[in-house]
Amino acid sequence: MTETERAVDDAERARDPRQPRLPRPLTSLPRRLVRDELGVLIVLGLLVAGIGIPYPDFLDTDNLLSTAHNSVYISLMACGMVFALAMREVDLSVGGTYAMVLVVGALLVRDGWAPWSAVPVMLLTGVACGVFNAAVTTLLALPSFIVTLGTLMLFRGVGLALADGKQITDLPLNDSYFTFAGGDPGGVPFALWVLLAVVVVLAVVLARTRFGARVRAIGSNPDAAAFSGIPVVRTRVQALALSGLTTACAAALALAFYGAGDPTLGQGYELQAIAACIIGGTPLAGGRGSVIGAVAGAMILSVVAAGLVFFEVPINWTSFATGGVILVAVAADSALRRTGRRRR
Amino acid sequence: MTSYGDILVAQGLFKSYGGVRALDGVGMRLRGGEVHALVGENGAGKSTLVRILSGTLAADEGAARLAKDTRIATVSQELSLFPDLTVRENLFPYRPPRRFGLLDRGAMDRAARPVLAELGLDVDLGTEVGELPLADQQLTEIARALLRHPRLLILDEPTSALPAAAVDRLEGVLCTLTGRGIAVLYVTHFLEEVMRLAQRVTVLRDGRVALAGAHREDVDVPELVSAMLGGRPEQPVRRARTVVDLPPPVVLSGVSVPGRLADVTFTVRAGEVVGVAGLQGAGHLTALEVVCGRTAVSSGRGDIGGRGLPHSLRDAVRAGVAFVPSDRKRYGLMVDREVWENTTSVSWLGLDRGGIAPSRTELVRRTAELTERLRLRGGPHDVVARLSGGNQQKVVFAKWLATEPKIVVLDDPTRGVDVGVRAEMHRIVGELAAGGAAVLIASTDLAELTEVCDRVLVFVRGRITEEVHGARLTEHALAVAMQQGASAAG
Repeated sequence: MTETERAVDDAERARDPRQPRLPRPLTSLPRRLVRDELGVLIVLGLLVAGIGIPYPDFLDTDNLLSTAHNSVYISLMACGMVFALAMREVDLSVGGTYAMVLVVGALLVRDGWAPWSAVPVMLLTGVACGVFNAAVTTLLALPSFIVTLGTLMLFRGVGLALADGKQITDLPLNDSYFTFAGGDPGGVPFALWVLLAVVVVLAVVLARTRFGARVRAIGSNPDAAAFSGIPVVRTRVQALALSGLTTACAAALALAFYGAGDPTLGQGYELQAIAACIIGGTPLAGGRGSVIGAVAGAMILSVVAAGLVFFEVPINWTSFATGGVILVAVAADSALRRTGRRRR
Repeated sequence: MTSYGDILVAQGLFKSYGGVRALDGVGMRLRGGEVHALVGENGAGKSTLVRILSGTLAADEGAARLAKDTRIATVSQELSLFPDLTVRENLFPYRPPRRFGLLDRGAMDRAARPVLAELGLDVDLGTEVGELPLADQQLTEIARALLRHPRLLILDEPTSALPAAAVDRLEGVLCTLTGRGIAVLYVTHFLEEVMRLAQRVTVLRDGRVALAGAHREDVDVPELVSAMLGGRPEQPVRRARTVVDLPPPVVLSGVSVPGRLADVTFTVRAGEVVGVAGLQGAGHLTALEVVCGRTAVSSGRGDIGGRGLPHSLRDAVRAGVAFVPSDRKRYGLMVDREVWENTTSVSWLGLDRGGIAPSRTELVRRTAELTERLRLRGGPHDVVARLSGGNQQKVVFAKWLATEPKIVVLDDPTRGVDVGVRAEMHRIVGELAAGGAAVLIASTDLAELTEVCDRVLVFVRGRITEEVHGARLTEHALAVAMQQGASAAG
C-alpha cells in the first residue's frame, strides 16, 4: 500500500460517520487463544481422520494416546522454543540440554537421591543451560543461532562424558517416581498431563503477561523495543531460560518413562521442535508465536510418522514424509496469510 | 586559466514527483577546467538535478546536452563500496581486466597506481576496503570514479565524512583535475568549502535557480544563505512560556564524546523548548543521543531527570525521557502491530507500569483516550502499517504521552508529514512544554526550529558556538551561524 493510498484510506475513515471507532468487542479468552491456531488444528484433525477412516485401529484410544505420547518431548521443547523464535532468537541447544539433564538426573538417582528430589535439580540444570546460552549470546554479541549450535554439542558432550558414553541403568524402578510419573494415572500417560498444564500456562504467559508481550514486541522490532526502554537483555535471558526449563521438564519425564539415562537420546530433536513451531504458525522472523500451534505441529509430525506405519510405508520414508509435511505446512501458511492480508 | 569550453549545457529542466514539482525550469552550464558548486537547502532539488545530469533520471521536460565524448563519473554521498572486497577489486567493479579468464591483477595495479598517487592515497591494493579509515574509503571511491576517465566528475557531498587534512588533499586533487580540463560539479552543504574550492556557484531554491553560476569573488557566505532561503517571511511568533523554577531536567556540563562532541554545556529547564542545529556531523544529534543514553561520554558530567547521565536507552526512559526518532519505522514503531500494542509498549512494557497482566480492554481504553487527544485517524485496533506517515508519527507521540514524560527529545519529528499534521505536532510540543516538560528538538527544517523553540543552540564541529533566541531567532541567522567555521577545511 502506498503512502497515497494510505492517505486516501485515512480520509475515507475520517468521513465515516462511525468515527471515532469504538474498541472492537473483545472475544472471550478461549476463542482468542485458538483463533490463530484454527488452521493447524483442522489439519491435525483431517490427518487423524484420513488415517482413521481406512484404518479404524488408528482411532483406538491406546493408539491415539501413544501417538500423542511419542510427541510429548518434542512438544515440550517446542513450547519453550516458541518464546525464543517469537523474539527472533533460536535455541538449537535443546537436544543437547535434554541429554545432559537426563544424564544428570539418572546419575543423582543412581547415587541414591530420592528420584522426586532430583527433579528440581534437573529443572535448574535446564534453566542454567538457557541462562548460559543467553549470557554468551549477549556478551559476545553473536546470533543465538551460532551460540546454541555450539552449546548443542557442548551440552551433549557434557552428558556423554558424565555418563561415560554408556546408558545409566540400575535405577530403583519400583520408586513411585517411575511408577507414577512414568505411568498412566487416570489412564493417560503422566507426561501428557504435564504437557497439558504447560501448554495452558505458557499460552497465557505468551498472550497475556508483560513478559510475553515484551517477547513479541522485541521480535516485532528490536530497535524500537530498545528505544521504548524494554529490557531486551533480561527478556532474552528469561526466554532462553524458559526454553531450557521446558526441555528439562521433557528430560525429567523421559527419565521416569524410560527408567534409564541414555546420553544419546534426543538427537535431532532441536530441528523437530523448530519445525513444530513453524508448522504451528510461529514465524522465524519473530513478533508472533503460538504455544498451542507448536504442540499441534509436534502432534502432526507424530501422527504422520504413525500413519506411515498403518499405510505400510517402509520406515526409511519417514524422514521424507516429515520433510514434506513441513514444506506443505509452511507453504500453506504463507499462502493463507497473503490472501488474508489482501482481504482486510 | 585556459578555457576549455562547455562540457554540459542544461536548459529548462522540469521534473515532478506525483504532484510535487522538484525542478521547475532549471538551467545549468558547466565548463571544462572549473569546479562548479551546487548548493541549496534540503528538498531544493539538488539530488534530482544531479541525477538528471548524470543520466540516471529522465527529466519530464528539457534536456542536458553533453560535449562530444563526455564521460561522467559520480561519487555519491553514501559510500557505495564493497567493504569485504579489496581496494583493487573495488576499483574495477564493471569490467575488470582479465587474462585467461582470471582477474589480471598486474594490469589492474598498473592502471590504479598513478590514479592513487595523484590522490595521495597510499594503501596496499590488497587491503579490504572495510579496514581503511573513512577518509581513505572516500578517496578510494573518488579513485574509482577517476579510473573511468571522466570529463565531468560529480561529487555529491563528498566532504561530510572527511577530516580537515583530507579536505586539503581534495583541494589539491581538484586543482590537478581541473588543470586537465575536467569539469567538477561539487554538491555540498558547507558554504565555506564553496568559497575555497569552487570557481563558480549555483544556488537552487524550491526547484528553481536562485543564483546562477556566480563567480566566487562576487559573493560571500551570508549572500549565499539569503539565496538559499529566499525572501521568506521571517516573523517568528514568540509565545511567553512559564519556565518552572526547579532544578532543570536536562543538564550537560563539559560533556565530550571523542570525535563528535567537545566540552558541551547546556541546560533545558522545565517548560522550555530548546532547539539544536548544525550541519551534518556538527554534533547536535550526538547531544540528543547522550541525553537518550545511546552514546557514552568520555568526560564531563550531566544530569538527566535527576538520575545522572543515563547508561542505556532503558535508563533514560526510566529517568523520564521520551524519544521521537526521525526514522520512526526503525526506531519508533512495530508497524506490523495494532495501534494499542504500540501505544502501550513504553508505559506497560518499558516502565513496568500497569501490572503484570492488565486487561486488554483497559489498555485499549487508554489508547483510545490518547488517539482522541492527538486526533489520530484510526482506532486502537488498526495495524500501524496501514496508517499514513503523519498518523504513524502520532502513534509514536501517543506511546510517549502515555508515560507523562519529563523530558521530550525530538529528532526531526515532522519529517515526511504534511502541513496539517506538522501544525498539530507543533501544538502538541507546545502543550507538553506548557505541562512542564523540558523539550529538546533537532530538525533539518530550520523554519520548524524558529517556530517552536524558545532558543536554539548552534553546534559547529562538536562545540556549541552560538545560542540564538528572541527576535534574533530567524532561519537566516541560524543558517549563517551553522556555517561559521563549519567547513572542515576552515
